Amino acid sequence: MMTASLNAYVIVSAVLFAIGFFGVLIRRNTLIVFMSLELMLIASTLALVAFSRVNGTMDGNVFVFFILTVAAAEVAVGLAIIVALFRRRHTVQIDQLDTLKN
Amino acid sequence: MDISVLQTLASRNLWGAITPEILLGGLALVLLVIELLFPKEHGRIVPVATLVGLVTILGGVLFNAPSAYLNQETFNGLLLHTHGGQIMRIFFLLAAIMVCVIARVSLAKQSLPRVEFYHIVLVVTAAMMLLAQSNHLVLFFVALETVTIGLYILVSYYRTSLTLEAGLKYLVMGALSSSLMLFGIVLLYGVAGNPALPAHTAQSMHYGQLAAFLAANPHNFLASIGIVLVLAGVAFKIGAFPFQIWVPDVYQGAPTPVTAFLAVSSKAVGFTALLALAGTVFASYAWLVAPVLTFFAATTLLFGNFAALTQHNVKRLIGLSGVSHAGFLLLGVAAVSRAPMAVGAIYFYLFAYLLASFAVFGVMAHVAGANDADQELDHYAGLAKDRPFLALVLALGLGSLAGIPPLVGFMGKLFIFIAAFQAGLYGLLAIAVIGVVVSIYYYFGWIKAAFFETWGKSVDAPTHPERTPVDFVTGFALSALALAVVVLGFYQGPLGAWLSAR
Repeated sequence: MMTASLNAYVIVSAVLFAIGFFGVLIRRNTLIVFMSLELMLIASTLALVAFSRVNGTMDGNVFVFFILTVAAAEVAVGLAIIVALFRRRHTVQIDQLDTLKN
Repeated sequence: MDISVLQTLASRNLWGAITPEILLGGLALVLLVIELLFPKEHGRIVPVATLVGLVTILGGVLFNAPSAYLNQETFNGLLLHTHGGQIMRIFFLLAAIMVCVIARVSLAKQSLPRVEFYHIVLVVTAAMMLLAQSNHLVLFFVALETVTIGLYILVSYYRTSLTLEAGLKYLVMGALSSSLMLFGIVLLYGVAGNPALPAHTAQSMHYGQLAAFLAANPHNFLASIGIVLVLAGVAFKIGAFPFQIWVPDVYQGAPTPVTAFLAVSSKAVGFTALLALAGTVFASYAWLVAPVLTFFAATTLLFGNFAALTQHNVKRLIGLSGVSHAGFLLLGVAAVSRAPMAVGAIYFYLFAYLLASFAVFGVMAHVAGANDADQELDHYAGLAKDRPFLALVLALGLGSLAGIPPLVGFMGKLFIFIAAFQAGLYGLLAIAVIGVVVSIYYYFGWIKAAFFETWGKSVDAPTHPERTPVDFVTGFALSALALAVVVLGFYQGPLGAWLSAR
């Protein structure tokens, strides 16, 4: 059976992580920024599972469940904030959320 | 799996070791029950119950400070109970008590549910106390995320347009920093468990095992990327330059008690993590960690102080002054590897910062109006004449933050500077002294607004919001803080000895 090497997994997850990171920095729509944040977390879980398999320890696989739980909590709170903010401002564009200024 | 393995694992779960954290969680649940049982009066009962519970738990922790679990690993190495951990437990409990005292004043100006606020403060405090004792990257990450997600809710608690905007900014920045840190943790896990490398370990997220692996592989490429990512994530939490961009906006938009919580507890969380990681686990990567810390310290000191000069909103001002305090603490962390007294100096500085900051935030909560984000320096005009007690507490707190000699903030800075001098960080020390000189200017601008700007203003139309009268509990807490700021400046005595003990 063909199996991909560890390097392939690490490179894919690093690329996913970079896409997420630059998505957060560049995109102007809050929802897309939020999706990019989730992409970064998912990139970490992919690398974690690959490492766990190669190292032969279960810690990585178990850690994935913790990360998923944390990500779910973050999404719940984050979407609540975005929805509440949309009701006040009628926009989720980051450039228009600049009321906090000196 | 053999049943005896599970028995051995279970026997290492010494629940007694985390009694304070369990009690805090229990207290948080009791608050929800109180709300159900007393639908009418819970607005008055809940703050009192929270404060009584917190003071009781603090008393218990103080009584058991030389705990039986000291220097022992529990929960299969997830937790390590150290003297420093005990110090930080007491620190976080004190901070939680002060946050609740300030919240009583601030929440009274809003028509919002109260219970959830105190509930989240308690849960977050318990997570902070666990984080201070964590000895494993999984527990570290989960505790840190509990703190951060709790703070997302607290920052946007008032649900006004400004507060929600601050909450969103904190959410994006906080989640970004958590993801960076998580990727760093994953890389460290992957490298330290790699069977092809010397000294690889099956428990590669355990601090002790990870430190042993890093000592055996002092120049691994992936491990150094992991370390830089973890340090960057921590730098976000403490607001170190160049990761401080969220600080002014979030501090301005957040409710005053939450700003205090962020400024004191959240920053202390970052420094506990930094002490545990940079000081011990990453010690063998000093070639990488030392320049990174030096860069953070120098730029943070300069940016915090110079950016604070131009602020008119006191919450932004205190936020940027907090950035500069993070710079002083980073100076201490940079000195840890070569001057062992730096650890005690950092703890002393944190306590000095706690006392002075909460004195200032307590006064801010009384001066603020219903619009919590709108707190300008002009609102303090005539405070000395109008409310001499508040003005005195404010002057002592700000004086201590600036580091004026007889006050505790001066001693804190002095200890850090001595540690940096012993470590031979002369360049950073020079930058820190410049920072102190600049900071005196903006702190005294604030004191001047409170004490000297009474004339020239129309008496008939005051330009500041209604000032809240000081009630007994708040008055007592503020007097205690002000007294501690003065007394500890003259006499550190047992507190100093306890903080610097190893």
